[in-house]
Amino acid sequence: MSRGMSRGVSRTARRRLPLNAGAALVFVLSAFPVYWMILTAFKPTPEIQAETPVFWPSSLTLEHFATAARADGFAQFWRNSLLVTLTCVVLALVVALGAAYAVARMRWKGRRAFVLMVFVAQVAPWEALLIPMYVIARDTGMLDRLPTLTLIYFMITLPFTVVTLRSFLTGIPVELEEAARVDGCTRSQAFRRVTFPLLAPGLVATSLFGFITAWNEFAFANMLIIKNQDDRTLPVWLSSFSNVFGTDWGATMAASTLFALPVLLLFLVLQHRVAAGMAGGAVKG
Amino acid sequence: MNRPASAAGARPGPPGDGPARGRLGLRGLRNLWPYLLIAPTVVGAVLLLGYPLVRNLLMSVQEYGMGELIRGDAPFVGLANYWEILSDPELWEVVHRTLWWTGLNVLLIMVLGTLVALMLERLGRVMRIVVTSGLVLAWASPVIATTTVFQWLFASRLGVVNWALTRLGFASFENFSWTANGRAAFVVLLLLVVWQSVPFVAITLHAALLTVPAELHESARLDGAGAWRIFRSVTLPILRPVFGLVLCLEIIWVFRCFVQIWAVTGGGPDRATTTLPVHAYRIAQSLHRYDLGAAVSTLTVLLLLAVLIPYLRRMLRQEAEE
Amino acid sequence: MKIRIIAGLSALAAAAALTSCSSGSSSDEGDGPRRITVWIMKDSVTDDFLARFTKDFEKDHPGLDLDIQIQEWNGIGEKVTAALAGNDAPDVIEVGNTQVAQYAASGGVKDLSDKVAELKGSDWLPGLAEPGRIDGKQFGIPWYAANRVVIYHKDHFAKAGVKELPKTRDEWIEVTEKLNSDTVQGIYLPGQNWYTLAGFVWEDGGDLAVHTQGPWKGSLHTPEALRGMKFYKELQALGKGPRDSDEAEPPQAEVFAKGDVAQMIAVPGGAKIIEQANPGLAGKLGFFPVPGNTAGKPGATFTGGSDLIVPEASAHQDAAYQVIAALAGDTWQRDMARTMSYVPNRTSLASVIQDNEGTAAMAAAAAHGRATPNSPQWAAVEAANPIKEYMTAVLTGQDMAKAARKASEDITKTLNS
Repeated sequence: MSRGMSRGVSRTARRRLPLNAGAALVFVLSAFPVYWMILTAFKPTPEIQAETPVFWPSSLTLEHFATAARADGFAQFWRNSLLVTLTCVVLALVVALGAAYAVARMRWKGRRAFVLMVFVAQVAPWEALLIPMYVIARDTGMLDRLPTLTLIYFMITLPFTVVTLRSFLTGIPVELEEAARVDGCTRSQAFRRVTFPLLAPGLVATSLFGFITAWNEFAFANMLIIKNQDDRTLPVWLSSFSNVFGTDWGATMAASTLFALPVLLLFLVLQHRVAAGMAGGAVKG
Repeated sequence: MNRPASAAGARPGPPGDGPARGRLGLRGLRNLWPYLLIAPTVVGAVLLLGYPLVRNLLMSVQEYGMGELIRGDAPFVGLANYWEILSDPELWEVVHRTLWWTGLNVLLIMVLGTLVALMLERLGRVMRIVVTSGLVLAWASPVIATTTVFQWLFASRLGVVNWALTRLGFASFENFSWTANGRAAFVVLLLLVVWQSVPFVAITLHAALLTVPAELHESARLDGAGAWRIFRSVTLPILRPVFGLVLCLEIIWVFRCFVQIWAVTGGGPDRATTTLPVHAYRIAQSLHRYDLGAAVSTLTVLLLLAVLIPYLRRMLRQEAEE
Repeated sequence: MKIRIIAGLSALAAAAALTSCSSGSSSDEGDGPRRITVWIMKDSVTDDFLARFTKDFEKDHPGLDLDIQIQEWNGIGEKVTAALAGNDAPDVIEVGNTQVAQYAASGGVKDLSDKVAELKGSDWLPGLAEPGRIDGKQFGIPWYAANRVVIYHKDHFAKAGVKELPKTRDEWIEVTEKLNSDTVQGIYLPGQNWYTLAGFVWEDGGDLAVHTQGPWKGSLHTPEALRGMKFYKELQALGKGPRDSDEAEPPQAEVFAKGDVAQMIAVPGGAKIIEQANPGLAGKLGFFPVPGNTAGKPGATFTGGSDLIVPEASAHQDAAYQVIAALAGDTWQRDMARTMSYVPNRTSLASVIQDNEGTAAMAAAAAHGRATPNSPQWAAVEAANPIKEYMTAVLTGQDMAKAARKASEDITKTLNS
């Protein structure tokens, strides 16, 4: 019996070889640049700029992280970015949730037009709106303030958040809610007790898109924060790594790693929910 | 724009399934619920997107440069800005290039994404988790960080790519400068964007594949259908809606892609990687011709909408059926 | 109808909420000292110089509190524009002499013509004063200038047996060939150091752009300009400078500091940054003017430098002028010339730098210093620099004449747009 099984396994393994080889290739190609970034951050300096690239360092060092963290203003800009990004994400979620619920669960006049508007809003030419946005902020006295950035990032992320949340909502059977209402819940109670818990992972997953967008934004942060240097965000400060750390690639990559870290961690934990939600909603819709 | 608020204002909405057991039994208020729920979105969109867009449109029919930005008064010039950019032969090159850029990228992204998704479905559990993690790493890394890494990987001296290619026997890649040659720079950007985008497509499509009931495959196989037949007649129809959505999003994202291009090549060498968003930004920020930049961006939006029209129409039809 | 009104009302309410946030900002006119914000570009002057200046200035002006903000180069054009167009701008801004014209022409900069006599503007360096002047009005106040010289590593010269410093281009190539080996780069010249190319082009009688009557015309394709490029190519090959980036990426001083580079082209102040990065090189650095075609006189070079401007939107324009008067005045000009190895803003102060090897080399070349074409649009040319692309194209083996013609057309188009 054991002999038969091992033969079966080896046959499947042989059949699966091309498939697994392809999988390995995909893994290497997709992960390598990130691996290279993190690796460089931990490499001893002499091995970083070598004529023959060192793919596996002889030893690891934390020295570059120390350099990056010691750099002037790192903590301050990190805090600003976190503040702006989180506020924008929460705001977008709350606002989008209402809209997504109205679209997914209610029938009303103008619904189609609204859905179309939200979808088309994703086409907005944000780089081109830099100057109009600057003029508006100036004329309303909103220059040089982090809340202005928060509002803009909120609007950049809102359409996608509505579309995705709506997909998630559509994916949750409406019958569950209806059953709860038959049991005597009000509509809002039914939503809170039944749908919301099911939606929670989707909310977190959706917010990651907003997080990435706001976390990365440079152009508005550069032009709208002028005199209050302490209000600068991380991308502005890191925009040109070579300005901050010169040829110190170790420190540059350490700073990049620290910059990427929160997003990477959140995503690794939550990615399958994002995809499942998008797919589920779209399949149904 | 057909704003929902005004559309609804014309005629009271049909009795929908508002909060049936709401504490306030007033019928009018019940019908207001959906509008109250979308109000923040609409207000936000009007103030933070609609109004800036109107200002942008206004700017495109004014003479608006650095002086006007500072002093504040800008004379109207009608459609002069549009004539100026439309009569510039460079614009047509850029439009042409943008369509190529979008088409090529989206094609590669969708094909590779689908293949990877199909592969994921067939992988064992461990391997699937490994590959998915790799994809997620590429997907979630902030653009600023990965763009820096890519620039370094493709550096002419001490870049890993040149080292590897030289090792593989392509001696001409020793100290090859990727950003000096238009086509090579285009390739680098293509790789960067495809690399960043495939994970989203693959993971989403894979999730959609999981919703295909196994029994369907089974019965198709029992009917004697081959792998390709099963894919075409069972998998594809179920995948189609997700595929449409993802395709549409990718078109929007690739068409609008700016940060990567600007950071890696700045639109060069010799404009070889200048797409519409880069063109608009260059005109506005380098030449300080905000009026021309606004006009180009208006055209960009129109062009993008034109590309998307088939999908938008389908989407509207679907919404109507629901 | 009702809903439209409600939507309109809530929009208004939100707008009111937005504007109400804005009140109550920037009222620092209380009892405390007034805060004067000064923007200085990164690496313009040392931290130490700024600290000394701040301390001294605040002592002399008890009511003023200096807030010096160091600006990064990346995205600076947008940022200065935003500052000039804003309501609450910084009070003094340092801008490069190739950039100042566009800002002066924009109407956002305060006209300081009435202060020229007080600042002894009669012998300002023309390369700094002219771009800051539009229609006879002085908007930009000259701050400092610097010419490019050759910084060399004395040990490598000794080891290669170079006894005499090169005086002509031919000698220079000969010496550099001798220096260049497997372990030592004869010269580190990145492919896109267009300031250096500009010097070569001028030395050969060409120019970047010309205008006699009427519109500007890019002129990189003229035979004279092509000779300059040919020389650049010849020189660039005698080292490992990347062909597709400029002197800032990677910072060439740091490359030099690694010790295996024999020469580089930079302002004399670059030597300080090298020594800072590698103290072991202190005392081993020498300077000589960029050689020209003939032994008699050094080659033409680009004069870089900065002007100081006061935005119209500054809330403290008088105090801002006090800062400029101090920075552009004799005391701090002498101090800066010595600590930073810069050329002072007035020719009569040039004697300050005669006793220093680096600045002496610079002063010798200063007589042949040139500036970029004096057009407000020149900054736009630099913003998406076709000259850099042209250089990389030539250095990577593309047809020189063709690439030059393309670059010229590009410059023509931008200058006249």
